[in-house]
Amino acid sequence: MPDKFITLNNVSKSYTRGGETLKVLDQLHLSIARGDFVALMGPSGSGKTTILNLVGGLDSCDSGSVHVADSEVSAMSRSELPAWRSRHVGFVFQSFNLLPVLTALENVMLPLQLTPLSAAERKKQAAFALDIVGLTDRASHRPNQLSGGQEQRVAIARAIATDPAVIIADEPTGDLDRSSADEVLQILSRLNSELGKTILMVTHDLVAAKKAKRVLELDKGLLVEDQQQEA
Amino acid sequence: MRFPFRLAMRHLMARKARNGLTVLAISIAVFLLCFLIAVVQGMEEGIRSASSHRLVTQSAVSLFVDLPTSYQQKIDTIDGVHLTTKFRWFGAYYQERKNFFAQFAVDHQRFLDMYTKDIEIIEAVGGTTGPAARAAVQKAFASDRRAAIIGVGLRDGERFGFQLGDTVPLIPSIYPRADGNAWEFVIVGIYRPLKARIPDTTMYIRADYLNEAFDSGEALGSRGAGVYYVNTEESVPIDQVAKDIDALFANGPQRTQTITEAAFASFFVSAIGNLPLFLGTIGGAVLFSIFFSVVNTMMISGRQRLQESGILQALGFRPFVSTMLLIWEGLIISLLGGGIGILLALATEGSLIRIFAQNIRNYQISVPLMLLALGISALLGIVAGLAAGIPFLRSSPTEALRSSG
Ligand SMILES: Nc1ncnc2c1ncn2[C@@H]1O[C@H](COP(=O)(O)OP(=O)(O)OP(=O)(O)O)[C@@H](O)[C@H]1O
Ligand SMILES: [Mg+2]
Repeated sequence: MPDKFITLNNVSKSYTRGGETLKVLDQLHLSIARGDFVALMGPSGSGKTTILNLVGGLDSCDSGSVHVADSEVSAMSRSELPAWRSRHVGFVFQSFNLLPVLTALENVMLPLQLTPLSAAERKKQAAFALDIVGLTDRASHRPNQLSGGQEQRVAIARAIATDPAVIIADEPTGDLDRSSADEVLQILSRLNSELGKTILMVTHDLVAAKKAKRVLELDKGLLVEDQQQEA
Repeated sequence: MRFPFRLAMRHLMARKARNGLTVLAISIAVFLLCFLIAVVQGMEEGIRSASSHRLVTQSAVSLFVDLPTSYQQKIDTIDGVHLTTKFRWFGAYYQERKNFFAQFAVDHQRFLDMYTKDIEIIEAVGGTTGPAARAAVQKAFASDRRAAIIGVGLRDGERFGFQLGDTVPLIPSIYPRADGNAWEFVIVGIYRPLKARIPDTTMYIRADYLNEAFDSGEALGSRGAGVYYVNTEESVPIDQVAKDIDALFANGPQRTQTITEAAFASFFVSAIGNLPLFLGTIGGAVLFSIFFSVVNTMMISGRQRLQESGILQALGFRPFVSTMLLIWEGLIISLLGGGIGILLALATEGSLIRIFAQNIRNYQISVPLMLLALGISALLGIVAGLAAGIPFLRSSPTEALRSSG
């Protein structure tokens, strides 16, 4: 198993707001293996979302480097990043972030718009992704016609539609009740174990963290705990 | 990269009420724009078609004061004057007041010679058509004092349908007859205007008939000429002729004001100041306010769509895709509105031409005008979409994602 699929090397990141500079990450080192399922925990404001944004190429670090697969994400320009994201990462958000004007199927088809697939192929692939999350029968529903758990499953289908190697999930069960959360976690586990997706998931939920193979604990931008778990 | 057109369509459909109102506002504005431009162009066309060798001599006091008939002989003697005719407003109507059309009393021996380039006689009583029609009408106009020449619009218009040989009763509103009856005129010729300035619904009657009727007490009114139309010789500067005419009557009994036909035509056009400018200003103001309401609507859409921009960016779309979406939506809304506005202008063109027949000969929703309206609509949509969508280009994906939708 190639040990370093995702690496953060000496990464520092600070935000300036109203003249005050807040150092969020200070020379952070982190590496994640291909096919791993990592839960990232820690108190609010400890920099978890910041790490996800750096790995997903939504934000850039002040110093250090971020590698994902063979790409140095931190060296890419703002104009290169969108295409890279489209091919390599899928995002799952706490608040689902589906587009309310589109149906479930159309939401899942959206990222496929950026691929060279034909309309028919896109539809087929989106339907396949919906099938993986068990929502084939909800394809033509709008987000407001779905339960929170269903919405999040559609969002997961959208994240995997282009078949990216990495899935980044920021508190994916944060807005869900226990049983919906368990369904979502079940799907993420399957994506990891059956499809080999590398998953980096932020969570405050100990039950959720239990599903991961590795749990990282962050505090004030520093890794304070790193433990492997048996499934 | 393919553009998510469907997303744009879904957004448009998701806000049917708001977008429908915007389409409505734009269609009204574009209709108004077409209308005003067509009115202004029609008026200007009329002025442009005025003869450059024709003067109109009117009373210096007011257009509505008749000049004496005795002036004609004196004007005729002035150097550079080629031909004159009286031109007097008769102001009667057919059956009902709303069936109003213009009638002018003219010198029957001179009128057709003066208007050779202005009107074409298409048919004379007895059925003569073609080049011989003019001479036939000239003859018929002289043979009956009640003779009248009408525009083709009075023959073809639904409300009139006057035919050659018809005796047409006209109810007076200025010059009542002593017997209380209507005036009667016999149609001897039909003309078609050759100049934009001339309506096709005018009736020309004989000035001598009126004046004799006033003299004899057959009708109530006083002998007069109205204004004089004066054709000038090309060899003499037209301004000089105008000055000479006014100088002749400088000491009364009535002072005159002689102006070119173009100035005379534009006097009607600018009866309330500079009408084209006035209409243009109104049109501009309306367009401007509609424009801002559309931009404002689009900007509200834009603010609500910042989060969507963040989501799209996370999925791998570039920021300008969100901007393009708004431009595309703006374009669809504005072209739809513009299209409806233009259709509205086309649909009302016929009735407005009828309504304006007296005053604006060339009211026309032309192809260039439609293209202009469509172009302005498109521009409106693009600018509105751009104004709403530009902020997306500046915001980072994380900022956009954090904004609440
Ligand atoms: N764009 C920004 N501008 C300024 N400060 C920011 C920005 N993004 C994050 N921060 C700050 O950086 C710190 C770390 O933020 P981050 O979102 O990574 O925390 P987190 O661990 O995800 O917290 P939570 O569990 O509440 O989501 C916080 O104090 C936050 O206020
Ligand atoms: Mg967070």
